[in-house]
Amino acid sequence: MAELTLDNVTKVFDDNGSDIVAVDDVSIDIADGEFLVLVGPSGCGKSTTLRMIAGLETISGGEIRLDGDVVNGKPPRDRDIAMVFQSYALYPHMTVKQNMSFGLEESTDMSDGEISSLVTETAEMLSISPLLERKPGELSGGQQQRVALGRAIVRDPKVFLMDEPLSNLDAKLRSQMRTELQRLQEDLGVTTVYVTHDQTEAMTMGDRIAILNDGVLQQVATPLEAYHQPANLFVAGFVGEPSMNFFEMEVRDGRLVGDQFDYPLSEETLAAVGDADRVTLGIRPEDVQLVDEGSGDHDFGTVVDVVEPMGNENNVYLGFATDGPADFVATIDGMRTLEAGQPVVARIPESAIHLFDTETGAALRNRSLDELEETEPNL
Amino acid sequence: MSVADDLRELSLGRAAVYVVLLLVGAFYLAPLESGLMTAIKTQDAFFSSTPFVPPFGDGFTLEPWYEAWAQMQGPLSDFSGALYNSAFVAIPATVLSGLIGSVAAYGLTNLKWRGQAGVLMLFVAGMFVPYQSVLVPLTRFWTIVGLQNYLAAVPFLQSRVGLIELVVTHTAYGIPICTILFRSYYANFDESMLEAARIDGATFTRIYRRIIFPLSKPMFAVVLIYQFTQVWNDFLFALVLVSSPTNEVATIALNKLQGSMVQQYNVQMAAAFIAALPTLLVYVLFGEQFAEGVAGES
Repeated sequence: MAELTLDNVTKVFDDNGSDIVAVDDVSIDIADGEFLVLVGPSGCGKSTTLRMIAGLETISGGEIRLDGDVVNGKPPRDRDIAMVFQSYALYPHMTVKQNMSFGLEESTDMSDGEISSLVTETAEMLSISPLLERKPGELSGGQQQRVALGRAIVRDPKVFLMDEPLSNLDAKLRSQMRTELQRLQEDLGVTTVYVTHDQTEAMTMGDRIAILNDGVLQQVATPLEAYHQPANLFVAGFVGEPSMNFFEMEVRDGRLVGDQFDYPLSEETLAAVGDADRVTLGIRPEDVQLVDEGSGDHDFGTVVDVVEPMGNENNVYLGFATDGPADFVATIDGMRTLEAGQPVVARIPESAIHLFDTETGAALRNRSLDELEETEPNL
Repeated sequence: MSVADDLRELSLGRAAVYVVLLLVGAFYLAPLESGLMTAIKTQDAFFSSTPFVPPFGDGFTLEPWYEAWAQMQGPLSDFSGALYNSAFVAIPATVLSGLIGSVAAYGLTNLKWRGQAGVLMLFVAGMFVPYQSVLVPLTRFWTIVGLQNYLAAVPFLQSRVGLIELVVTHTAYGIPICTILFRSYYANFDESMLEAARIDGATFTRIYRRIIFPLSKPMFAVVLIYQFTQVWNDFLFALVLVSSPTNEVATIALNKLQGSMVQQYNVQMAAAFIAALPTLLVYVLFGEQFAEGVAGES
């Protein structure tokens, strides 16, 4: 168990003479026993960051410290870490037992007996005992995944690194393993860095999530913070499914003026906007309310374009024009029936809106959490 | 048209295919069959019949095989003879070039270091140097090295100095092709598997021994068969490097049979079969892994 610190970590790849910055000045403190999820779109540098922690990539700038010791120059075998790969990366010619013993044989002086009992114990914990004598080729994807996990766990490392470990599994198994991984990590209490592009995994598994884009760290926060208090436009758009709705607006005379609608602001909100003159208004689909009759400044007449029934809820795509494409999405109760072409009034409550500086993307004002805290006292 | 007509047409077509296949097969096997028939005929029967016709009655004999064996090898217990010498050269040369090629391919494929591309180019270039062009430098080289002086302490080896020179020469000549073969195989290995091993604490030599080497079996079969056949069938290097008659290899002995005053075609044929047998044996032994290696399974 250990604290892991990334201090201004930078990675520059040399691509035929031109430099490509894959990871740009990333600093994260990961506490002992914490489960940190690194998330971002493909090519954002999350895997490179993980591989630098593992020692599989050199570090171009900055420091990585494990329990206070700088590990920059250390080869992977001297870092006391274990990694789970997307492809599982099992040794195909060895049995499950040999796969799991390999790391202990190579990195410790344990006797065969000790190794064997540790492997058996770990296999029991993961319920893969009956598979110990089989080879990876004879196992299903889910079983191979467990073996890969077992290979990491049995070494009892300071840090677990996981590189999209669930993305080769089918949806059902993935959600099952998600829960199990979380439980395991809590039981073992080992500091974990988990890379994924799947924001469901990021939201559900991490103690905190670190969102990367183009090699730049956007925000490190708890999942709920990232969801409700995004630091910028990118985080707001990346976290959440369906994504937050955005409208580009101009600030004019205490109102937001857009192509399709105007949105008056209260004094308080105006103060948060400051002297920015172009802002992006954001609203989460579930915060858009569909009401029977428009009664205020924040109610807008729209037409239903498409309805996506999800079972427990419906995603309703709404357009301001009668026959234009949809402009935004609202999530409403699954039992409420709406039909394409039907006119509805959409209410965008001011308490739920986010405002971002269009130029810099920085958040100027995030939604107020007052009402949420009332309904969810445990937040 | 009825179903029966369909069937008839089909079977006629099939029959035609089989006839063609049989003819092509016979065409390819004719030289081999003629050789085998010649090897079991008396000299008189050979002169009075067409080569591919089997011997009848008195014409049949196994004498050429005994004689060929006596000339090519002699008693096995002597640790000498042409077949024995060929094995003395082919087995170590094959194993050594396979092992060195495999290690070199690992270093050139799975490890990253500066100047890798240049070294690989040198390896590849080695494949394109024809045997003939190096004959003179090669003999000069071995004269200057004077290997027999170093082997003075071990008479067993000193008396076989020409064979040892052959082993080294063939090993060196085999390394490029072996390296290229292994390299293409290793390039398909899952990179993250080797990274996992590094994180698991294995050094690069341990990774070779515990992961790369055991996974290379199919490619070793390919390399062993190919390299063994090359070395066993080599005539040119053996002709140049081997001077002592006791160190003759099979190809040289075979050639000498032809040089005698009376052409004994049946003995020559029997000797040719005897000389070809070991390569056939190697193929049979490693055939299954060979197929796997060629198919590129890992």
